[in-house]
Amino acid sequence: MSTTILSTRDLSRYFGGVAALNLVTLDIMDKQVHSIIGPNGAGKTTLINVITGQLEASGGKVFYQDKDITKRPVHDRVKMGLCRTFQITSIFMGLSVRENIRIAKQAQAGGSLRVFSRRDSLQEVSKATEEIISRVGLEDVADQPAKNLAHGDQRVLEVAIALAGNPKLVLLDEPAAGMSPTETDQVSELIKSLGREMAVVLVEHDMEVVMTISDRVTVLHQGGIIADGSTQEISENEEVKRAYLGTENWAPLIEL
Amino acid sequence: MPQTIATLVDIILNSLVLGGVFLIVAIGLNIIYGLNRVMNLAHGSLYALGAYFGFTLVASGLNYFVALILAPVAVGLLGLVLERVLISPIRHHSIVYTLILTYGLMFCLDGAIKFFWGVETRFIRLPDFMRETVGLGPASYPMFRLVILIAIAAVMGALMFFLGNTRFGMNMRATADIPEMVSALGINVRFVQVGAFVLGCVLAGIAGVLAGPLFTVFPIMGHEMLISSFVVIVIGGLGSLRGCIYAALLIGLVQTLAEFFITDLAMVIVYMLMALILAVKPRGLVGEGRFE
Amino acid sequence: MNNIHTAAMPAPALKRMRASKLNLLLFLTGVTVVAILPLILPNKFYLRLTNEIMIYGLLAMSLDLLLGYTGLLSFMHNAYLGIGAYATGILLIHVFPESLWLAIIGGVLITVLISAPVGWVQVRTGGLAFALLTVAFGMMFYTVGWKWYSLTGGDDGLMGVPQPDITFFGIKIVSSGDSFGIYYFTLIIVLGLFLLTWRVVHSPLGAVLEAIRENEQRAAFIGINVRLYKLIGWMMACGLAGVAGSIYILYRGYTGPGVMSAFAGAGVLMMVLLGGMGSLWGPFLGAAVFIFMQDYISTMTEHWEFFVGLVVILLVLFMPGGLAGFYGIMTKPRGE
Repeated sequence: MSTTILSTRDLSRYFGGVAALNLVTLDIMDKQVHSIIGPNGAGKTTLINVITGQLEASGGKVFYQDKDITKRPVHDRVKMGLCRTFQITSIFMGLSVRENIRIAKQAQAGGSLRVFSRRDSLQEVSKATEEIISRVGLEDVADQPAKNLAHGDQRVLEVAIALAGNPKLVLLDEPAAGMSPTETDQVSELIKSLGREMAVVLVEHDMEVVMTISDRVTVLHQGGIIADGSTQEISENEEVKRAYLGTENWAPLIEL
Repeated sequence: MPQTIATLVDIILNSLVLGGVFLIVAIGLNIIYGLNRVMNLAHGSLYALGAYFGFTLVASGLNYFVALILAPVAVGLLGLVLERVLISPIRHHSIVYTLILTYGLMFCLDGAIKFFWGVETRFIRLPDFMRETVGLGPASYPMFRLVILIAIAAVMGALMFFLGNTRFGMNMRATADIPEMVSALGINVRFVQVGAFVLGCVLAGIAGVLAGPLFTVFPIMGHEMLISSFVVIVIGGLGSLRGCIYAALLIGLVQTLAEFFITDLAMVIVYMLMALILAVKPRGLVGEGRFE
Repeated sequence: MNNIHTAAMPAPALKRMRASKLNLLLFLTGVTVVAILPLILPNKFYLRLTNEIMIYGLLAMSLDLLLGYTGLLSFMHNAYLGIGAYATGILLIHVFPESLWLAIIGGVLITVLISAPVGWVQVRTGGLAFALLTVAFGMMFYTVGWKWYSLTGGDDGLMGVPQPDITFFGIKIVSSGDSFGIYYFTLIIVLGLFLLTWRVVHSPLGAVLEAIRENEQRAAFIGINVRLYKLIGWMMACGLAGVAGSIYILYRGYTGPGVMSAFAGAGVLMMVLLGGMGSLWGPFLGAAVFIFMQDYISTMTEHWEFFVGLVVILLVLFMPGGLAGFYGIMTKPRGE
């Protein structure tokens, strides 16, 4: 029996007079891959930003594990298990791959106020770091500075950093952006496996990815939800088709 | 009673003059920052150069008002050169990088000022009519200050008109507000950014020529003005024009009052006020400041 | 299956080890040279010069902790050396004329206590506003030092500061005003603080500060309370600067407001830039070079301002890693 891990109630966000999000009410279930799709400007990234605390909500509420987190700062939410990746890669470029993941793990596990020990004396942290490196397949580049990595590896590193936070809900903002078909497949597999352990919210433009791995899809258009259901239901929904009409994103859906 | 009114008039008008000069400098700095994302620490030196250019032009026989037009143009041209040579190439670097670089530039320009004009204080000779005083009821106020006040108002009016009604002005606003979308709107972003930089420098130059008669012309005038602009910009909110206006007038008032009552530690009062405001509103008076 | 390749050490780790052995050697050499300098070169001028280099090196190192490791730029970090110097000096004059240790501890405590609310206001804003605010607050302290005559002696400075004997558990080890003794006192304290700071930057706390420097947004999104840790880094840096100030007043017996001026602030920044940000030892090198240069330049030309500006520009453009060759924050691309 699936539990609701995150819900928003009448969530709104205004920029000047424009409503980027308008009374968005939705529920995210645990151990599912829940995709959020919609044409450009629909408000998908804004929604992620408000849920994670990057942006303040103009109205409405966000509940996580039945707690009202609407006013909580970003770092609090992360510590509660709400982790995310960004559309534009946001990692620690100057640090090594290993350190990127290690510091994320340390921030979650604790030990940051240990001023006089060495970093690697935090054994649990070091162990968990190696496990994550193996899981995402970055062993070969673990000692490289993150800025030297290929784009695809950087996107994977970003997911690894989110994982290091021991999340119960992970929000992925276009993880496959700029990836080759092979890399995209690998990332899709990774996301699917994540969806078995935790709640995954996925914002994606690549419809093939969305339709293949999602358990549930919510469609945003101009700041509001126009459809919510299984991949089958969404692909048959007339209003969704109309919203996407004329954009190339719709093509794969029609072929389905 | 007439004495109190006279003092009051003095304080109000002085606040407006001081705040007005702060405003022109700070808006110039904000415009440069808003469009180029570079905080030009050499801005104070450009303000000083405006004053020095003004001094030289007047000393060589030109009318003050002619200098008021020509000196800023010269500063603007210098700004154009600086933009091409130093600012453009470094835009992709971190804030720390650009701050330290423009800091070095500030020292260079200040050194250049000392080299060309020496360290003595200079005075700008004003037209005769500006050296009189004007009767305002029970008060009398120096004419040159009134003229400067009018000039400030004219500059601000022109600037607001420019930003609101001309094509270039509106392109500037769009580029500052929605940089991701402007190229889609067909705006030549680089052109607008360079133009904004030059405009900011011109404003600094104007403020310098206006400040000359107010504060005299001396080598470190740029430092003091720069620090005051920092206070104004941060209180007003980085990149917020509206906040900048409120902040400039507020600081002009507070500093004038503080100097009237305490003189020596007047600036300390200003800094503590700044700390107080930021403690409560880190994004500036109107909360629009960029959080950078 | 026993794969001999897995038994060998991976190449990058081996390189790191070799590099750190070299660094250790260089470090020990440097310390030894400074330690025996008064014995091989008993010239009082060089003694005082090196003493000054150590003090300013400590100040520059504290700025490196702030800028090179945490990524926060301060244009007037010298303000906290000034506060430390004045605080210790005033305590020596009025409260602890006999006890140096109490005066130093008191001076440093006062510096940290003053830096706390300033830091709190400053970290609430973003990095750019932070840098601008350090100028505003720095100027505020300078104005206080310059104008508050009854407290600080104003323009004349703090005069008549006693130089007590330095005692250790009751045993006198340095006589009042003995330059030789003060030199070694400085060396021990600066060395000790360097090692302490080295420990801290390689600790888990140091890792947090580096993460904040690299990507503030990402740091928040891994659960770091960015403001809190910035404040911690700030207070540590100001505390170290305060110690530098306490030693400074012991060494000079006097301080004036000039030590808190904007130009002195630029000097400290230059030391860190010259030496290399994020290296921790580079700033000492930078301090040495700067102090030597300053002597030369100010006597050679009255246009030192232009020269300083030019050097800064050239350093930033062509040698942002400084003499130590550390890049870190200077090569960070602009985030948005």
